[in-house]
Amino acid sequence: MKRRKKVSKTYPGYADLHRPVILGYSILLLLLLPLFAGCVSKKEPSGDGVTTIVFKHGKIAGDPALFRQLIDRFEVRNPDIKVKDETLPASTDEQHQFYVINLEGKSSDFDVLSMDVIWVPEFARTGWLGDLSTLLPADKRDEFFPGPMQAVTYKGGVYAIPWYIDAGLLYYRKDLLDKYGFEPPRTWQELVKTARYIMEKEPKIYGFIWQGKQYEGLVCNVLEYFRSNGGDVLKNGKVVINSPENVEALQFMVDLIRKYKVTPPLVVTAIEEPTRHIFGSGRALFMRNWPYAWNIFQRKGSAVRGKIGVSRLPSFPGKSSASTLGGWQLGINRYSKNPLAAERFVKFLTSPESQKTLALTIGYKPTRKSLYRDADLIAQQPFIASLYDIFMTARPRPVTPYYMLITQVMQPEFSAALSGIKTPEDALKSAQKQIERILGAE
Amino acid sequence: MRDGERGRWFVMPSLILLSIVTIYPLIYVLYLSLQRRLLIFDVSRFIGIDNYLFLFRDDRFLNAFKNTLYFTVLSVTLELLLGLSIAILLNRSFRMKGLMRAIVLIPWAIPTVVSAKMWEWIYNTDFGILNYLLGVKINWLGSPFWAINAAVFMDVWKTTPFVVILLTAGLQVIPKDLYQAARVDGAGRWDIFTRIVLPLLKPVILVVLIFRTLDAFRVFDAIYVLTGGGPANTTETLSIYAYKVLFQTLQFGYGSTLAVVVFLCTGGISIFYIRLLSKGVRL
Repeated sequence: MKRRKKVSKTYPGYADLHRPVILGYSILLLLLLPLFAGCVSKKEPSGDGVTTIVFKHGKIAGDPALFRQLIDRFEVRNPDIKVKDETLPASTDEQHQFYVINLEGKSSDFDVLSMDVIWVPEFARTGWLGDLSTLLPADKRDEFFPGPMQAVTYKGGVYAIPWYIDAGLLYYRKDLLDKYGFEPPRTWQELVKTARYIMEKEPKIYGFIWQGKQYEGLVCNVLEYFRSNGGDVLKNGKVVINSPENVEALQFMVDLIRKYKVTPPLVVTAIEEPTRHIFGSGRALFMRNWPYAWNIFQRKGSAVRGKIGVSRLPSFPGKSSASTLGGWQLGINRYSKNPLAAERFVKFLTSPESQKTLALTIGYKPTRKSLYRDADLIAQQPFIASLYDIFMTARPRPVTPYYMLITQVMQPEFSAALSGIKTPEDALKSAQKQIERILGAE
Repeated sequence: MRDGERGRWFVMPSLILLSIVTIYPLIYVLYLSLQRRLLIFDVSRFIGIDNYLFLFRDDRFLNAFKNTLYFTVLSVTLELLLGLSIAILLNRSFRMKGLMRAIVLIPWAIPTVVSAKMWEWIYNTDFGILNYLLGVKINWLGSPFWAINAAVFMDVWKTTPFVVILLTAGLQVIPKDLYQAARVDGAGRWDIFTRIVLPLLKPVILVVLIFRTLDAFRVFDAIYVLTGGGPANTTETLSIYAYKVLFQTLQFGYGSTLAVVVFLCTGGISIFYIRLLSKGVRL
């Protein structure tokens, strides 16, 4: 009593004194509330028997409304399922990061996920994906292109269904090749010869542009040279990156810039879009890029509209061309609370009907071979239909759960070779050693 | 209730909150950094300080550390010198001073990722305005020598305004009489600058240095967007390396070790500056 009296002389009153403290604790409590709420299940049980599933995917190329229409079609046919589609950040690295953080935390906040072709073995190995082998039994697997099928298979099980496909292509200026009497090149050497000849006559034009920045796209590019010279990174589980074929192929890429000078040094920092801009403004004869660029070049007002063609990538003499496979696959979160509803949705989105709709509306290339003989598709998207042969032979990047580790080794080594910091021999020797160490850690 | 006791109750809520959102993750990262944890290999075991020992054998870490230091020292020095000059200029009275101050702020107001994308185009060999203005054809982001300096330049452009604001605020606190008195005593401009402006500005300069050094040391988004660490890792900083190890290759143990190294370095830097600062104020 005595003490309190003393206090009240100096300070206003007991209640006044504690008000800020009480306020502080109330705020703390409010801030902590979501933490506790997070522990309790967030999904409201819907009494009417409707299940809501969440579908995470990257940015939809083209009009998202058209994509939503497809999902609406699914909901109409499956009145017991509602689909929430949520777009992830545009960069694939960020999408990978999102999945890693959430799946490592056993999140069940999303049910269906779309994955880049290189992630499936990794996510399967970590046990993050539901086994979809029953959804795609062995006798149905050859309805899909072999490349994507190989990429979604891990230890005999299927962990994702190929949704749409991509592959590296050679774009060329048809008008210029015709003018000087050249055919689209079959070998890399023919490409160099053609480019050098035409560059001499058309001084303002680059010969051949591709993607050489230190990033995943660089690996896609380099693999196309390795494999079109008979080389590879892994063969039957063994590291074979430091082979004479690969050294020759990587040296050839360096030579394109340094020796033949058909490729401008700017490719060392280029990703897809800058090269697409250069080619699209009519300033390059050849370009390696993905199929997406085609529609942009054919738009009204494009400087190269009607002047270009595409073909499969060249190869070294006597070897066969090898496009790197891209594209996205649909899988199911192992921690999903509604795996059955999710399966129905994946089955729907990868069905011939949906793939056809997506090809006609937003230009996603189907992963099902039969669609390339579809009369509507051939009539409305003749370009897509013409890519069949290239997709048939497109090859996935090394299919291993450790791919993300391996690419982190390859990217700087390839970049070092292209920017002249290391010789191709040294770069590949160093890559061989590092990849062997990664695989040896298993 | 004595003052100290009362104060404790006031501080407690924020301490509890901080310990939940900061201290707990920090301790968890420290714990992870002592583990060999590779998600895809299904490996998770305690290995003591092996990860820390591996740092010294890891060329990529040493390279990233070197890049980070180079970037930090060069960019912070340039930002301080440039920021101080601009702040002093802006502190004089002239027409449209308010407008000038607003314009100077623009680079800082642009989100980092946007400005990094913008600079990527400015540096573009073919379309870039920089090569156009200079009349050269330098591959800024593709050459091992230029790439890191291009990143420094972008950072200087972007964060000098931040230095300018803080220093301008500091300059305005200096009483005008001091300048007048000095002038009456026959002090030249240089004397005024070194004897009055600099000493009185010292605490603000130190605050600027703390903010900028810590930010520069942890730099991630600007360089990641600009070069992705290339060519051949010549622009890879510690944060970028840690990000790649953690989120792209899922090596949670070693990645945490890298994060702890960044934390220890920034911690050391802050303690160093705070010491200087407390000394400076006492003087």
